[in-house]
Amino acid sequence: MTTPVLSVRDLTVSFPSEAGRVDAVRGVSFDVGQGRTLGIVGESGSGKSVTSLAVMGLLDDNARVGGSVMFEGQELLGRTDAQMSKIRGNGISMIFQDPLTSLTPVFSVGDQIVEALTIHDARLSRRAAWDRAVELLRLVGIPRPQERVKSFPHEFSGGMRQRVVIAIAMANNPRLIIADEPTTALDVTIQAQILDLIKTAQRETGAAVMMITHDMGVVANIADDVIVMYAGRPIEQAPVDTLFADTRMPYSIGLLGAIPRVDKSEKRPLVPIKGSPPLLVDLPDACPFAARCPIVTDACLTAEPELVAVGGHADHRAACVRAEEIRAGRLGDDPVYPVPEVPASTLETVPRELRKPTLEVENLTKTFPLLKGSFRKKKVGEVHAVKGVSFDIREGETMAIVGESGSGKTTTLLQIMDFAAQDDGDIRIVGTSVADLQGGRAERELRRDVQIVFQDPVGSLDPRMTVFDVVAEPLRTVGMPAADVGPRVDELMDLVGLDPAHSDRFPAAFSGGQRQRIGIARALATNPKLVVLDEPVSALDVSVQAGVINLLDELKVRLGLSYLFVAHDLSVVRHIADRVAVMYLGSFVEHGDVDAVFDDPQHPYTEALLSAIPVPDPVVERGREHIVLTGDLPSPTDTITGCAFVSRCPLFQTLDENERVACETKVPALSGRTGVHVNACHHR
Amino acid sequence: MVVAVTNLTYFLAWAYLDPRSNYVGRRPPLSEEQIVNLLEPRNLDDNVPLLERWWTWFSGIVFRWDWGVSPTGQSVNEQVAYRMWISAELMLGATLLLTLIGIGLGVYSASRQYRLGDRVAQGTSIITMNIPIVVAALGLVLLAIAFNNAVGSTIFYVTGASSPGVSGFFPTIVDTAQHIALPTAALVLVGYAQYHFLQRSLLLDNIKSDYVRMARAKGLTKQQAIRKHALRTSLIPVTTQVAFSIPGIFTGAVLTESIFAWKGMGQYFIETISKNDINGVVAVAAFGAVMTAIGAILADIAVVVLDPRVRVS
Ligand SMILES: Nc1ncnc2c1ncn2[C@@H]1O[C@H](COP(=O)(O)OP(=O)(O)OP(=O)(O)O)[C@@H](O)[C@H]1O
Ligand code: SF4
Ligand code: SF4
Ligand SMILES: [Mg+2]
Repeated sequence: MTTPVLSVRDLTVSFPSEAGRVDAVRGVSFDVGQGRTLGIVGESGSGKSVTSLAVMGLLDDNARVGGSVMFEGQELLGRTDAQMSKIRGNGISMIFQDPLTSLTPVFSVGDQIVEALTIHDARLSRRAAWDRAVELLRLVGIPRPQERVKSFPHEFSGGMRQRVVIAIAMANNPRLIIADEPTTALDVTIQAQILDLIKTAQRETGAAVMMITHDMGVVANIADDVIVMYAGRPIEQAPVDTLFADTRMPYSIGLLGAIPRVDKSEKRPLVPIKGSPPLLVDLPDACPFAARCPIVTDACLTAEPELVAVGGHADHRAACVRAEEIRAGRLGDDPVYPVPEVPASTLETVPRELRKPTLEVENLTKTFPLLKGSFRKKKVGEVHAVKGVSFDIREGETMAIVGESGSGKTTTLLQIMDFAAQDDGDIRIVGTSVADLQGGRAERELRRDVQIVFQDPVGSLDPRMTVFDVVAEPLRTVGMPAADVGPRVDELMDLVGLDPAHSDRFPAAFSGGQRQRIGIARALATNPKLVVLDEPVSALDVSVQAGVINLLDELKVRLGLSYLFVAHDLSVVRHIADRVAVMYLGSFVEHGDVDAVFDDPQHPYTEALLSAIPVPDPVVERGREHIVLTGDLPSPTDTITGCAFVSRCPLFQTLDENERVACETKVPALSGRTGVHVNACHHR
Repeated sequence: MVVAVTNLTYFLAWAYLDPRSNYVGRRPPLSEEQIVNLLEPRNLDDNVPLLERWWTWFSGIVFRWDWGVSPTGQSVNEQVAYRMWISAELMLGATLLLTLIGIGLGVYSASRQYRLGDRVAQGTSIITMNIPIVVAALGLVLLAIAFNNAVGSTIFYVTGASSPGVSGFFPTIVDTAQHIALPTAALVLVGYAQYHFLQRSLLLDNIKSDYVRMARAKGLTKQQAIRKHALRTSLIPVTTQVAFSIPGIFTGAVLTESIFAWKGMGQYFIETISKNDINGVVAVAAFGAVMTAIGAILADIAVVVLDPRVRVS
C-alpha cells in the first residue's frame, strides 16, 4: 500500500476560554490517499473547521495542538509559520466557506492568482504568471477570462468568486485540497457547478480532497470515505456506501433520519434528535451523545466509547457501546429512533377547490428604481424585482416559493406583509382586498390574520426583551387585557414545545432551534390564519431543523393554519409544502401541486434545480444525472425581451433556429393544467 | 465650499464683532463723524447696509484679489501673504508627521496585540491624547531649554518662526527646522493618538478577516499577509479620516503659534478677533477652509493610490 497523502493521528486542539479549556478537537485520526475524497460531516461546533485549520497550521496563536499530522511523510505540527508557508498553497491548498469575504477587495482577481503562483516560484516571470492566471480562470469556467482577470472581486457574483478561490487552490497543483463547506453559501445550481469543478480540479491534479460539510447529500455525491464528527471526535468512520447502508452509531442514524428527501414523496414525519450538543468544556468520561441518545444504557455512562471496528470490517469503525447490536439504523426490529406522531388533518379530506382561500395574490409587481450618482441620485433605470406573480393559498395549505437568491422571493413576501396596493392587481387576505383598507383600524384588524417568522432566529429577537415580552408584544399591540396576556403566553410557549416557566429568560439563553420556536410562538399569538415563513429553518442544524419542521406540520393541522413558505432548500419544501412555485428573475416559471412539480418537472429550470440537489444516498446519487447549468443568474437590470431563462437554458441549446425565435422574442406565459400544474416554457 | 464658508464667516463676524468699538471711548473722544470717516473708507462702517458692505468686500476679492483692510488700515493681503506660509508649513508638516506616526504605531500595536509593546503604546497614547495642547507646548519648551542648556548651544528655538539674517539654501533649512521642531512636536504629541487607535482597531479587524486567512492559505507568512492584504485595506478609512481632522489641527495651531510666538495665521486669528478686524478674521477662516480642502484632495489622491477599485469606476 502506498503511503497516504495526509495521515492524521490523535489530533487534539484546545483553546483557553473564560469558561475553562475548550476541547474543540479530541482525538481525530484518519488517512487520505491520493485521488481519494474524505468527507467530514457533523453539526455546527463539532470541530470540523478546527481540524482543517490545524492541518493547515492556521489556528489562532492561543490554540494548543497535539497529536500528529503527517503530510507526504513529513510531520507538520510544530513547524514555524515560515516553514508552513512553503507548504500552504503549494502542497496543501484550501477553499473556504464564504466566497464573498475570502478575496481581498482591493486587489484584482488576477493579482491574487498571480500572487499564489509567484510566492512559491520566484523564477516565474510576471508574464508567464498572468498567462497561467488566465488559463486557470478558463479552467474554472469564468467566461472571457482574458478580460475578467483584471476585474475586482466585487464585480463577481458569489459563485464566480468561489471559482476564483478554486483557481487559486489549483494553481500550484497541490497534493491535498481542503474544502471547508465550499458550497454552503451558494445556491443549489451553483453548488452543483462547484462540486463538479472540485471533482475536475481533483482529476486535473490527482489531489486528495478533504471535504468538510454538514450536508449528507454533498457527502453522498463526492466522498469516498466519511467521518462523522460529534463533540470534537469522530464517532463513525467508514467508506461512503457502508456508512449510508449500515449506519451503526445512533448520532449518524439521527443525522440521516433528520433530513427530508427531495426525491421521495412519502410524507412521514422527520426524526429530530432531541437536545443540543454538549459544551466542550470539562466533558465527563462518558458517551458525549448520551444525553440525546434514545437507546442510552448504563454502560454508556461509565466511559467514553472508543472508535472501534464493527461488524468485522476493519474500515468501518464506530464509537458506541451498542454498535454491534445496531444493524442499518435498527435495533432488533425497532428503529433506533421512535418515529414521532404527527396528527392528520381533517381538512386534507376536503378537496382543495372547496376550501376557503386565505390569501389570493393577483398580478403582484414590484419595481425598484435604479439610482446612480453619490450626491444627486438620478434614476437610470428600474429593477423588476417581482413581475406579475399570481397565486392563491387555501385553508390548511402550505404554499412554497423556491428560487435562487435574487429571484424575488423575499420581495414577494414583503409586498404581501406591507399590504402593498397594486396598480394592476390585488392582494386579498381572507377575502379582504388590501385596496379596500381604509384607516389604521381596518389595517390592524387584518394584521392579526397574517404573521411572519424570519430566517435568523438570533437577529430577529430583541436581546433585551425577555421571551415573555417578545411573545406578548403582538398581544399588547392588538389591545388584549393585561390579565389575559400571561395565560396566553404560557399557552403559546406550551404550543411550540417550550417550557412556560422559562419565559422570563432572555433570548440569548436559548439555542437556535428554541429561538426559532419563540419566533413561531410570537407569530401565532394573535391567532393568525396565514403565517408567512421566510427561510425559517435554513440557519439551523439538520437535527434541530427536523424538530422545527415537525412543529410547523403539527401546528398547521391543529390550528388549521395556512403557510406561505419561502426556502431555497428544495428537500424541505418537498416535505412541508402542498403547493410550490418556482421563481426565476421575478416571475413564476412553474407552479402547481408539490408532487406534480417534483415528480414531473416540466420547465427546464425546475428540472435543473431538482437535479442539482444531491440526494443523501450514495447509490442513488451515483446513478443520478445532474443537469449543470452554465453561467449565473443574469442581472435583474438587464432588459429581457423573451424568456428570462434563455441565457442558461439547456433545452434552448438543443432547439433548431425556428424554435429558438420564440424563446428570444416572446415572453412565455404560464400554461398547462390550470390550478394543478402550469409552466412557462414555449416548448414544454 | 471654500467660497460658501468664507461668506458665511463674513456675516457671522459682523454679527459678533464691532469695529466701531475700537474707537468708542478713545481719549480724546472721537466724534461720530470722525469715526465714520475712519471706518467708511475701510468698508467697516456699520451704517452702510450689510449687503452693500458685503458686496464691496466680495467684489474686491473677486475682481482685485483684495481682502480688505484692518480697522487700523493695514492690508489683510500683506499680513496673510507671509503668515500663510509659516502656518501652512507648520500644519502640513504636523499633519503628515502625526498621521505617519499614528499609523505606524497602530500597525506596531496591532501586530503585538495585548503584548507588552501594545499595552505600553496604548497607555502612552491615552495619556498624550488627554494632554491639553498648551500644557504639551509649555512642557516641551521647558524640556528644550533644559536640553539647550545641557549641550551649551541653542539647538531648539523656543520662539519665532525663523532667525533674522539667515540666508542661503541649507542654512535656511536648518534654521527652519530648529524653529519648527518644537511647535510641530507639540501638535504631533496631542494629535497622533487618534490615528494610533483607529489604525490599530481597523488593522485588527482586517487581520481576523477571511481574506487574510486566505492569503496565508496561499502561502504567505502571517507577516506578509498582514503587510500586503490587511494593511492596505485598513489604510483606506484612516486616510479619509485625515481630511476631516484638519480643522482640529488648525485649532491646535492657533494655540501653539501663540505660545511659540510664531507670526502665523493662528496668532493672527487671535489678534484679529481681539481687534474686531472683520476682514482679517474672514481671511483666516478662508485659509482654514482652503487647508481643509487641500487635505481632502490629498486624502482623495491617497485613496485612489491605495484603492484600485476607485480608479476603475
Ligand atoms: N479561536 C477559537 N477560540 C476558542 N474556541 C474556538 C476557536 N475556534 C473554534 N473554537 C471552538 O471550537 C469548537 C469547534 O469549532 P469548529 O469551528 O471546528 O466547528 P465546525 O464543526 O466547523 O462548525 P460549523 O459547522 O459551524 O462550521 C467550537 O466549540 C468553537 O466554539
Ligand atoms: S454509547 Fe450509548 S449513549 Fe452513546 S451513542 Fe451508543 S448507545 Fe447511545
Ligand atoms: S422558453 Fe425557451 S429558453 Fe425559455 S425555458 Fe423554454 S426552451 Fe428554455
Ligand atoms: Mg466550520
